[in-house]
Amino acid sequence: MNYQPSLPEHNDNVSHQHPVREFFVLITGVLVFVLIGYWALGLFVDVAVDYLSSEQEATFFSKVDINWDFGEESMPEEQAKLQGLVDAFKPCLSLPYPITVSLVNSEVVNAMAIPGGKMVVFSGLLDALSSTNGLMFILAHELGHFKNRDHLRLMGRGIVLSILAMLAFGGDSGFSDILASTINLRTAKYSQTRESQADHTALQALQCHFGHVGGATELFKTLQSQDEEADFEMLHYFSTHPELQQRIEDLNQLAQELGFPVQETKDLVL
Amino acid sequence: MDSLTIFLILLVLGFVFGKLAEGRHYRSIQAREEMLVRLPATSCKKPIGNSSPIGHAELVHGHVVISVDYFKQLLAGLRNFFGGTIQSYETLLDRARREAVLRLKESCPTANEILNLRIETSSISKGNSGDRIGSVEVLAYGTAIYYQQASPQHSRP
Repeated sequence: MNYQPSLPEHNDNVSHQHPVREFFVLITGVLVFVLIGYWALGLFVDVAVDYLSSEQEATFFSKVDINWDFGEESMPEEQAKLQGLVDAFKPCLSLPYPITVSLVNSEVVNAMAIPGGKMVVFSGLLDALSSTNGLMFILAHELGHFKNRDHLRLMGRGIVLSILAMLAFGGDSGFSDILASTINLRTAKYSQTRESQADHTALQALQCHFGHVGGATELFKTLQSQDEEADFEMLHYFSTHPELQQRIEDLNQLAQELGFPVQETKDLVL
Repeated sequence: MDSLTIFLILLVLGFVFGKLAEGRHYRSIQAREEMLVRLPATSCKKPIGNSSPIGHAELVHGHVVISVDYFKQLLAGLRNFFGGTIQSYETLLDRARREAVLRLKESCPTANEILNLRIETSSISKGNSGDRIGSVEVLAYGTAIYYQQASPQHSRP
């Protein structure tokens, strides 16, 4: 037996497929899986929320203390007045549990319903509105989310998404953190159907409280004009006009159908 | 958004530097393999060359630890999900195995033959969350034999 010194002509122990191609194929597969899973489990959440009674919800969240940490609450007087405005809807909206308002110092023009009967209002919203009616509409809109239990749906979907991300990418891959930070609660949105349902509830509550629905579209109009300015400065790639315009039109149409009059609004004093 | 940026930077850095390091390593491996190709290293238990009397034999070993880059690690993680060959780790292990054998050969340049070559692999991974280290150690060991007449000047205790 003689030794023949030679080296193999080519390396059969490694694959010669391009790794970048493999990466895109794999990541597309994972994302498709996550999207399908998210959609299917989202439907499941909707069904589960319908089965969960308000008492069960209240019991659960009274025991669980979630630290949402949206920011600083430094305006106790305004917060108390907002609470008064929310409480004023009691005769008009049958809510199964009391809602606590917290006013957070932030430029964000938004308000949100979070589980446990807590409503967060960002002070940017108060700056963007000039009438009490406009503010009350937004508060009623959030109460509408509570009434329609959208806050539970949103949280359920959030939980589903983080579980899926962990399954798909592993808890320690960094991917899960990225998804969690991308889907920020602060910017979370409900589906359009949920929003228009809440708008519907809010419009009826506004009519019930004031006897007219003046100011209902105030915030949307303000946001729309802000967007127009931004467009003029070429800052926005994606205009949000159609969505806002649609909401304004829907509200006007609904008010007309239900025969709700539009009257003068009261100035916002907090 | 910040974490997404960091992730993409890490991904690109991992890919670019991983590719550069791998190319450099392969060039070095190929050059050294050609230099050392005349030193037989086999898994046989008996010498395959001439049957000259053996002067002395010794245990030789070579080992290497190579780490995986971020891009390869991510690719392997994604593979975990679907199953199949983890192609991104193939070059890593191929390099480690060949490097370990080269180091073994380099440790006994005057030997006539290396018998009973064995290669062992172990993964070095520490921690289970966040910054897991993905490294591999390959150890090659064998018996280097020196023929009496081939290297008369070579004598060790």
